[in-house]
Amino acid sequence: MAETNSAVKDILAVRDLRILFPTRDGRDTVKAIDGMDFDVRAGETFGVIGESGSGKTTLGRALVSLITPTHGHILHNGTDPESLSTSQFRKHRRDYQIIFQDPNAALNPRMTIIDSVIEPMEVMREGNDASRRKRGVAALERVGLSPETAGRYPHQLSGGQKQRVNIARVLTLRPKVIVCDEVVAALDVSIRGDVLNLFTDLQREFGLTYVFITHDISVVSHVSDRVAVTYLGKLMELGPTEDVIEHPLHPYTRALLSAEPVPLPSSMRVDKRIILQGEIPSPVAPPSGCRFRTRCPSVQPRCAAEVPAWRELKPGHSVACHFATAEGPPPDNQNAPVAQ
Amino acid sequence: MVSATDLSDPTVMRPQSASRLLDVRGLSLSFATIEGELPITKNVSFSIRPGERVGIVGESGCGKTVTGLSLLRLLPPQSARVKGEILFEGTDLAGLSQRQMRAVRGRDIAMIFQEPMSALDPVFTVGDQISEAYRAHFPASRAEGRERAIAALAEVGIPAPERRCDEYPHQLSGGMRQRVMIAMALICKPKLLIADEPTTALDVTVQAQITDLLRSLSERTGTALIFITHDLGVVAEVCTRMITMYAGEVVEDAPVDDALLRPRHPYTSGLLRSLPGLSQRRGVLPSIPGRVPSPTGMPAGCRFRPRCMHAADGCEREQPMIEVEPGRLARCWRASDLTLPGAVN
Repeated sequence: MAETNSAVKDILAVRDLRILFPTRDGRDTVKAIDGMDFDVRAGETFGVIGESGSGKTTLGRALVSLITPTHGHILHNGTDPESLSTSQFRKHRRDYQIIFQDPNAALNPRMTIIDSVIEPMEVMREGNDASRRKRGVAALERVGLSPETAGRYPHQLSGGQKQRVNIARVLTLRPKVIVCDEVVAALDVSIRGDVLNLFTDLQREFGLTYVFITHDISVVSHVSDRVAVTYLGKLMELGPTEDVIEHPLHPYTRALLSAEPVPLPSSMRVDKRIILQGEIPSPVAPPSGCRFRTRCPSVQPRCAAEVPAWRELKPGHSVACHFATAEGPPPDNQNAPVAQ
Repeated sequence: MVSATDLSDPTVMRPQSASRLLDVRGLSLSFATIEGELPITKNVSFSIRPGERVGIVGESGCGKTVTGLSLLRLLPPQSARVKGEILFEGTDLAGLSQRQMRAVRGRDIAMIFQEPMSALDPVFTVGDQISEAYRAHFPASRAEGRERAIAALAEVGIPAPERRCDEYPHQLSGGMRQRVMIAMALICKPKLLIADEPTTALDVTVQAQITDLLRSLSERTGTALIFITHDLGVVAEVCTRMITMYAGEVVEDAPVDDALLRPRHPYTSGLLRSLPGLSQRRGVLPSIPGRVPSPTGMPAGCRFRPRCMHAADGCEREQPMIEVEPGRLARCWRASDLTLPGAVN
C-alpha cells in the first residue's frame, strides 16, 4: 500500500476537513462535513456513496474549491489552493473540474452549445476565437456529438446529449481531476451505460482522476477503484471497491448494500435484507459518539459515549466502528433500543 | 359500484367480481396542442386481478405516468383526449360523470405520487388530511375521523401516531410524509392503489422501508397495486407481474420472475442489460443505441425497430401483442424465435 509513502504526492489530500454552515435563523450550525481524512491517488476513480444529508455534495464542491473549508485543508498535489494568489489560483483551477447532476441547469439556455463549450477557454484566455472553436468542436466529437450539434441550443438536445456537452466543456481545459456529482442520476437507464462508458474511455485516454459522488451503489461499484461510504458528514468506511461491496465492515455499509433493490427473480435473491429504522438525523445536532448509532442494529452503550476511531482492519480498508473486525461488522445487538 | 348502499363500513367485505378487478382496453391518449393532436399512448391494454401487484416500467416519456393518471381520469379534460375503456369491476370509468368519478377516487381506487410534499397541504395537520380522505366517503364524526387517522398512521409504521397526527407536513421527514400519503390512500380500504414512483425521491434505506410496507400492506389487506417506476429492482422486490412500456405502447406483460430471467421483448432485455449492477465491474456497459422517437415521429410498425439489434423484414408491419406462452405477452413477432438475455446472463 503506497498511501503512506510520502514521496508519492496524492492528487487530492483531505485533512481534518470540516465544513459548517449557519442555519437560516443563524442560531445553529449545519455540520455538513464534520471531520474527514482521505487521499485520492492520481489516475484512480474514487467513489463516494452516501444518502442525502451525508455531506457528499458539499464534499464534491469543496474538492474543487467552490466551498472554502471551515477547518482543515484540501491539498491539490500537495498544494493548498487557499494559499495561492488570485492569478495563480485561476491557472490552478483548470486542473480540478466538476460536473453536476442536472445537465439542464449547467447550460445557459440562451447560449449555443459551442458557445457554452468554449466559454471556459475564453475565461482562461486561451488561443483565439477560431482555435477555441476548433477545439470545442473536437471536444464535442470526442464525446460522441456531431459538429451540427455545435450550433444548437440546449432545449434541442436530450438529457444524455446535454450531459455529454458538459463533459466536453470540462475536457477543453484538459483537467487532471474531475469531480462527478451524480452525473448519471438524471439520465434514463438505457443511455446511462453510454455515458458511464464514455467516462471510462476518457479516463484511459487522458489519464484522468475521478471522484464519483453518487447515491447509486450499482453505479459506484461499477466505475470505482476505491469507495468511501459517508454518513452525516463523516466517513464510515473506505476501501477497495470489491472488498467494500463484497465484504463490508461497517454495519451501515452492510445495511446500505442490502437495501439496494436487486432486479433478480425471487429464487435468486439472497433475502437477508436489513431494514434500517428511521432516517438520517439532522446534521445540525448529530448524535454523540458514533453518528450511526441511532439506527445501528449492533449498537452498544459505548457507541453513544465515544467517537469510534478510524481503524485500518485490512490492507487499505478502514472503518469507523468500535466493534467491527476484519471479518465484518459486529453481530446485531438483541437489546438495541428501537430508534425514534 | 357508486350506489348509496356502498357508503357503509369499509371493513365489510364487498363481493368480489370475477377474476378481473381492472380491465383496461385499448386506452389511447393524446394531448391537444397548438400544433395539433399529440399522440402519447396507443392502444394500452392490460388487466389487474384482485390483490395482484403489477409494476409498470419504462423510461421517461414512455407513457407510464399518464396511463396511471388516466385510469383515475386525473388528466386535464380540456386538453387530454382519452379513447378506450377502463373497466373497474365491470363499470367503465371512462363513461362516469365527474361526480360519480369523485366517489371512486380515494374510495375504490387511490393513488400516491413521487413527491409527498406537493401532495400534502402545508396548512393542515396530517391527521386532518387523513381524516378528510375518510370523511369524504363515509359519514363519520370528527372524533371518529381522528381515531381512524391515528389507527392508519400506526398501520403504516409511524411511531407515536397520536402525536404525529397533530403535526404539519413540514415537521415530518420525506419517508414519514410518504407513509402519511400511504395511510391516506389506504384509509378507505380501496381495492386498487396506484403508486407513481413512490420511492424515487427517497434514500435507498428509506426506499427499502416503503417498498416493504407497500408489499406487506397489499398482502395483508388484499389491495391490488399498480406500481409505476423506472426501477426494475424495485419491481422485482414488490411486484408479481411486470408490464413494460416503450414509446406509448405496452411491449411486454409477464410474471416478474419470467420477465427478468427470460425477457421476450428486445426492449425489456436491453433495459435489463444496461443496469450497471448486473454486468462485469469496470467492463463496458451495454446500452440501447439511439433514443426514444418523438410522439410526432413514431416509426411505422414496431416502435422499437430503429434501436433494435434484432430488427428484420417484417418489423415494419403493425405489431400486435402475441401470447408467447400462457400468461406472457410480447409485442414482437419474432418473440418465439429470439433468445434474449435477461438479468442473469
